[in-house]
Amino acid sequence: MREALLIARREYLERIRSKAFRVSTVLIPFVFGLIFGIGAFSTKLTGGAKHIVVASNDPVLAESERAELTALRGDESRRDRSSQLRMEARAPITEGELAALNTAVESKKIDGYLWLDVKPGTTQPEATYVSSGSDFFGKDRMQYSIGHALVREELVKRGATSEGVESLLKDIEMKTLRVKNGRAVAADASKSFWGAYVMTFMLYFAVVFYGVNVAHSVVSEKTSRVFEVLLASAKPESLMLGKLLGVGAVGLTQMAVWIGFVLLLSASSLWMTLGLGGLAAYGVTPLQLIFFVLYFLLGFFFYSALSAGLGATVSQESEVQQFTMIIVLPQVIGLMMIVYILGNPGAWPVVLLSLFPPCTPIVMSLRMAAMAVPAWQLALSLVLMVLSIYGMVWVASRVYRVGILMYGKRPTLPEILRWVKYS
Amino acid sequence: MAPLVQLDRVSKAYEQKVAVHDLNLRIEAGSMFGLLGPNGAGKTSSIRMMVGITVPDSGTVSLFGRAFTRASLKKVGYLPEERGLYRKMKVMDQLLFMGQLHGLTAEVAARRAHTWCERLNILDSAQSKTEELSKGMQQKIQFIVTLLHEPELIIMDEPFAGLDPVNATLLQDTLLDLKKAGRAILFSTHRMDQAEKLCDEICLIHRGKAVLSGRMRELKSRHERNRVIIDFEGDDGFLSHEAIAEHRKYPGHVEIRLKEHGDAQALLRTAEQHAQIYRFELVEPSLEEIFIQTVGEKVDA
Repeated sequence: MREALLIARREYLERIRSKAFRVSTVLIPFVFGLIFGIGAFSTKLTGGAKHIVVASNDPVLAESERAELTALRGDESRRDRSSQLRMEARAPITEGELAALNTAVESKKIDGYLWLDVKPGTTQPEATYVSSGSDFFGKDRMQYSIGHALVREELVKRGATSEGVESLLKDIEMKTLRVKNGRAVAADASKSFWGAYVMTFMLYFAVVFYGVNVAHSVVSEKTSRVFEVLLASAKPESLMLGKLLGVGAVGLTQMAVWIGFVLLLSASSLWMTLGLGGLAAYGVTPLQLIFFVLYFLLGFFFYSALSAGLGATVSQESEVQQFTMIIVLPQVIGLMMIVYILGNPGAWPVVLLSLFPPCTPIVMSLRMAAMAVPAWQLALSLVLMVLSIYGMVWVASRVYRVGILMYGKRPTLPEILRWVKYS
Repeated sequence: MAPLVQLDRVSKAYEQKVAVHDLNLRIEAGSMFGLLGPNGAGKTSSIRMMVGITVPDSGTVSLFGRAFTRASLKKVGYLPEERGLYRKMKVMDQLLFMGQLHGLTAEVAARRAHTWCERLNILDSAQSKTEELSKGMQQKIQFIVTLLHEPELIIMDEPFAGLDPVNATLLQDTLLDLKKAGRAILFSTHRMDQAEKLCDEICLIHRGKAVLSGRMRELKSRHERNRVIIDFEGDDGFLSHEAIAEHRKYPGHVEIRLKEHGDAQALLRTAEQHAQIYRFELVEPSLEEIFIQTVGEKVDA
């Protein structure tokens, strides 16, 4: 154990002291910030004030439709953008004015117009939307709003009060509930699997950025031939374990720096102005949080150990890249099955998948969000993960040790199996 | 006293090739042992079994009188054939790490590393990154790594390969000092002249088998002195003497190989009657010649 700790310490200190570590600690959040910034900026650009004209030969219908579109009823995602919308009703309208609207669209004076042609003797108008390119509302929403406008007009004609019309046409609020421990509790469907998404993202990120470092570190020891010196003084298992802990700790340190920064930010008033709530707002229990951290750590070390094992089989840094795919694949599987898992969190294929170590962190987080997972399954999944990490380290150290005799060519799978058996 | 290293009928084969076959070896304390042989003879394979990097297919390896255990490696210093150092690490950090890995405390490791750097003239580079140093310098660092924990048994695979003559001599002298201090040293080399100069005892391996082993003096005395070198002036008629098997003549200088049991003294008497003799030397056979005689072919070093 002393050997493993020495190796872990060397690995940790050498990396923490390196310029690459300092640069990436600052640069990665900066790059992420930049990406989000560009994203936000581009939404602003496309969402820049739209000028849309509602034209009709029926002034009441035109005004009613204008009001409908301005309210953007039933479309939460766009409601906050209604301020960027300039709606104008023009009715009644002459042929000449209508032709002028086309020119206006072409010269970008307006972004588009909706032409509602009410033929005498019919109730349904003929609707045409003309725009310079993208349509802001979507066809469905526009048809829906025209329907609403017609109903509103008809109701008013039949003598309904404007309050009565409003209350009739108001969107209906709907609650979603979830059965947990035999009781229906409030659950917001869009928030219930936040944990799985965050877990997937963090794990993916951590594995791609740091897990693969273990492989690089293993390979560089092979190419620099340090490993023969090390093997003559330390057990290969200690070497691998030390590497795993050392390189892993570097990743965790960097993430801790970032999380610490986010927490500082969240304590500040800036967080509130950004409109992000605390964890409780997402319906997270402390137990879920504890398991989240546990699964993250175990998942991280599992994938790092896998990466160490793969690193031990190659003799050149450039070959490591080809393995990244193998490492990321099980996580993608979990993500792809997200709908099925949330719908059937207790089905046996899902239970099995959640106990399969490479998939455990993501699938188990999903299940925990969707149901109360039996304690024995949680315990079993933890045990299996710890065992599989140990197993990976063992195999990796075997392969690493025998790899000393290998030069150049990549070993085949049967050869690797023979290496594992070889003492 | 039990030998520090004992290999007993050790064999090792890889895939198709037999690397070591039925090798027996003993190394005593306070001696310098040379493991000799051409490239690919099985030297590195034998050494790797001594330090437990590979395990023999058959036969036993004992260190310090006991069957091999990892624990006994604490008393062994191993210099692999392919040198390995952390390229990005500072020299002193590297020495400290390796020392600690061998069980030293940080303080002891630091003190000894300092002493060794001073002794091998690399103290000025102690704070540099390893990759910035020349190959010879790196080799010295590797040398220190091997010796830092004051091992009783020092095993070095081709320790002088790639060194300039000045540094090779420096390291050779260091090894001789360590031997005087009672350590056992085993090193492999394909250079017979080096082994001849340094070793008390050798084992010559050829194609995985030991073809010649024992104390250097005994090996040499077992082989006849059958080479004669003569510097002379005058008539070279003595070259037709019956004791001579063959000769190579240069102006005023001749190198002679005698027939088996050829009488060198009789040759000397004949020669002095013909010419003025400045030098008459009955040369001891070199290790290389013994090897060629034993194996019957040339070493392709």
